[in-house]
Amino acid sequence: MDIHALARTIRSIEYAGSPRENREITRVHASNTMSELIAHAASDTLLVTALDNCQLIRVAELMDVPGICLVSNAPPSPDFVAKAAEAGTTILVSPLSLEKTMCTLRDALKLADRTST
Amino acid sequence: MTLSYRIAGGDFDSAGLATRKLKEHLARIGVSGPILRRAMIASYEAEMNVVIHAKTGTLWARLDDTTLDLEIADEGPGIPNVELALREGWSTASAQARQMGFGAGMGLPNIRRNSDLFEIETRVGRGTRIRSTIRLSQQEEVTIPRAESAMALAISPGRCRRCMRCLFTCPTGAIRIGSAGPTVREPLCVGCTACIGECESAVFGLPAPRLLPRDLRGAVLVVPRGFLAGLSAGSSIQRILQAVRRLGFAEIRLAEEWEAALLRAARESVGNVPRPFIPPLCSAIVALVESRFPSLIPHLGPWLPPIESAGEEFPLRSVAVLASCPSQYAALGKTSLTDRLHVLSPSSLADSLRPLFAEEPTGADMSLPDVTESTGDPAEVAVSGARHVLKALAAAEAGALADVSLLRLSLCEGGCSASPLFCPDAQLSARFWQAGHGLRETRDAAGVVPRARAYAQRVGMRLDPDMGQAIRKLSAIDTLSKALPGRDCGACGAPGCAAFAEDVVMGAAGAADCPYAAKEVSP
Repeated sequence: MDIHALARTIRSIEYAGSPRENREITRVHASNTMSELIAHAASDTLLVTALDNCQLIRVAELMDVPGICLVSNAPPSPDFVAKAAEAGTTILVSPLSLEKTMCTLRDALKLADRTST
Repeated sequence: MTLSYRIAGGDFDSAGLATRKLKEHLARIGVSGPILRRAMIASYEAEMNVVIHAKTGTLWARLDDTTLDLEIADEGPGIPNVELALREGWSTASAQARQMGFGAGMGLPNIRRNSDLFEIETRVGRGTRIRSTIRLSQQEEVTIPRAESAMALAISPGRCRRCMRCLFTCPTGAIRIGSAGPTVREPLCVGCTACIGECESAVFGLPAPRLLPRDLRGAVLVVPRGFLAGLSAGSSIQRILQAVRRLGFAEIRLAEEWEAALLRAARESVGNVPRPFIPPLCSAIVALVESRFPSLIPHLGPWLPPIESAGEEFPLRSVAVLASCPSQYAALGKTSLTDRLHVLSPSSLADSLRPLFAEEPTGADMSLPDVTESTGDPAEVAVSGARHVLKALAAAEAGALADVSLLRLSLCEGGCSASPLFCPDAQLSARFWQAGHGLRETRDAAGVVPRARAYAQRVGMRLDPDMGQAIRKLSAIDTLSKALPGRDCGACGAPGCAAFAEDVVMGAAGAADCPYAAKEVSP
């Protein structure tokens, strides 16, 4: 499912990223620890987390992660947004909690999967 | 071969940079997919261990045909109980690190999980040494996507006077000069006009001119205005328009219309894209970024370059588009398999038009659009010319242009309108245009066309399809480069000692071609 379409399902705000990137997301992974996030990071995975430190962008860069979704309406720091923009990583901010964001995104992906098959 | 990277303890801003450099090196020799992924996880986790716990450290990556061996040694406190440290959830990380999401006790287990062989050696008060070995044999067969060739460059080596200027002008170092004259390393060529503009012997140019289509009724001609300015050379441009009509074209459009449309789209996107945002105004710039500055790929706008957009703009009409450079000629040639789109070389169009505008104009029977150019805001920077563009891209890569909103780049000095294929000088072209352009009509109908193909790093420079061979070659190039005198004199026919070393190792040159180090050097 296209990252922008996925973003609309949680009514998230998009902070950074490239308009060219209609990158396909097939998995989401939520965690608040860096090791968990890097272990599940991949080029088709949206990472969901409450962390907004810039190392998250480095992880996204290393693992070719297309986007990161922050939760609970917490606005990212300008530095975080700038680094994400530089790396071409889309940043979404969800109004929902970590768990609710994760559930909603997973449901949307399942629905998209069923619709496409 | 061995690569090494320094890691500074406590520096969270630079943390991960060693792993990022390792990724670039591994990609060059063809490591990809699951192996690259495992290497990145192991390397990043080990690097973060140094940053979180130690004063300083070093990451070594040793490569041979079968394995990638990562070794990370630090000057840190050491681990009192290794057994405990390898258990998931056990950590001694600081509060600062935990606040950032580290210190979950998953680092060492993550490294071990992603290694085929894992070793750890530690001394309390002295430091820790971790070794993670990943077998490359599981790597899926490497298929090298061939670099999309930008080569539409015709070379007449017999005309070469061996002035060597092209050798040092080429922005990608693609030219070699041998005893039979210049040759071009095809995967390196980005199809710009640097060599064409520099060579006074007309060694370089576009391939044999394509003939104009026979039936031009209703057809649209798209040209950069510099082409018209060069043809008119100060006299009335109306004569040229009349000649265009006599050839059978129904309409003439300027390539600058699509440039303006692209800039409008780019300016509208500036808020949420990486800075500096680079609109793909020039096909050769796109190829240059994809080959020499791949880290800037996210900065490229998601549209076709203007002249390619123009080719797509008229789905139901016959269109003839004038190519200003080998890159455009190649790009448009790929889509011109139908009868609808015709790619013209400047010489063939000029030869067809000249006999027709000898007579005085009889009246205005064709109009020319006038393109209003916005000066843009002060945060926009326009750079043209190969030498300046290379410096600008290097600065952007180093992060020095993060305050620039739009970086407008063209490899031809003065842009497409000042291509040396039809313009002797960018300043003169502008003067001719001002003098000869009588008709004005504002048109804002051009649009932008999204790219169908995503940007991707051009891998034409990969050393060998076989990873083991690539590793050996990279190592041999490194050794040979150090043995060469470093004069970058061009006497060997390559633009520099590093390029010559690569040529020798790749079998494209002999070590004896270097007159200064022939005796000492062997590949």
